[in-house]
Amino acid sequence: MVDEHKLKELKDRIETAKSSNTPNTKKNKESGAGFGFKISTEIIAALVVGVGIGLIVDKYLGTKPFGLIIFFIFGALAGFLNVYRVMRRIEKQ
Amino acid sequence: MAAKDSPLKQFEIVPFSKTELGGYDISFTNSSLSMIITVAVITLFLTLTVKPRSLVPSRMQLVSELMYNFIANLLSDTVGDNGKKYFPFVFSLFMFVLIGNMVGMVPYQFTFTSHIIVTFALAAIVFIGTTILGFANHGIKFFSFFYIPGVPFYMHPLLIPIEVISYLSRPISLSVRLFANMLAGHTLLKVFAGFVVAMPFFTGVFPLVFIVALTGLEILIAFLQAYVFAILTCLYINDAYHLH
Repeated sequence: MVDEHKLKELKDRIETAKSSNTPNTKKNKESGAGFGFKISTEIIAALVVGVGIGLIVDKYLGTKPFGLIIFFIFGALAGFLNVYRVMRRIEKQ
Repeated sequence: MAAKDSPLKQFEIVPFSKTELGGYDISFTNSSLSMIITVAVITLFLTLTVKPRSLVPSRMQLVSELMYNFIANLLSDTVGDNGKKYFPFVFSLFMFVLIGNMVGMVPYQFTFTSHIIVTFALAAIVFIGTTILGFANHGIKFFSFFYIPGVPFYMHPLLIPIEVISYLSRPISLSVRLFANMLAGHTLLKVFAGFVVAMPFFTGVFPLVFIVALTGLEILIAFLQAYVFAILTCLYINDAYHLH
């Protein structure tokens, strides 16, 4: 049939149009500042929580500098853990 | 308060009328107005564009369907089959942040996502919700989320506090990221707008050109931050289902 031939031709044209369009659309470019920002918020957030817990512990248990020191270190380590997780998620993509 | 033409003046909260209830200030402010506009825009846009329900969608209906598909795919990719239940929540959150950012891009319009209390409230809803969800799914076993298997036993006193702090830092990093991006972007726009007026002769054209480019970047960031907010919500919901 003539129609079938025409349809096939149209299909080919659609395929070529699709293949020429798709490859460039998947750009995963992110600015360096945006990336740095993402990493720094992770560290800062963990430090804020660590220092907060440290101050609360000091206030209620009366262990003045030690709670802050210990939980500050825990907070910093948690920040590194957050960054590690973010990086692993990015690697996976 | 900030000077009359400070670049930070745009973030000032201005109450339209002073209202108090039980000692709390519940005045209707420009921030509230901005949020109401956002919700109205979302509701009107989604209901009106989808109303014809045509099989071959019009352009505007296509936009609505695109947004629907975007979040639906995001949920099914990150959470899987369990994710369908949370579609209304994630979609509302995404649209609220996205349209809120976009409404903020309109000149003279207040950007409510540039206030940390707003973004922190949104992040706290996500955090408390996913924690309750985790306990509902796993009961007391949810605490094993902080316990990493395959680690020598003497490491646990060190690792469990770190995991707990890492978990508690989620709402903070979620809210600070959105808030700081919007705050920085809008301040930068205003600072360069100030240069246009302050620079001598015709040189004010250069910052003007820069502002045009920056506005485009800001719209990209507005979308990107709403997307990040939605995808992190999905990941946290996923964590509530799958421990490790």
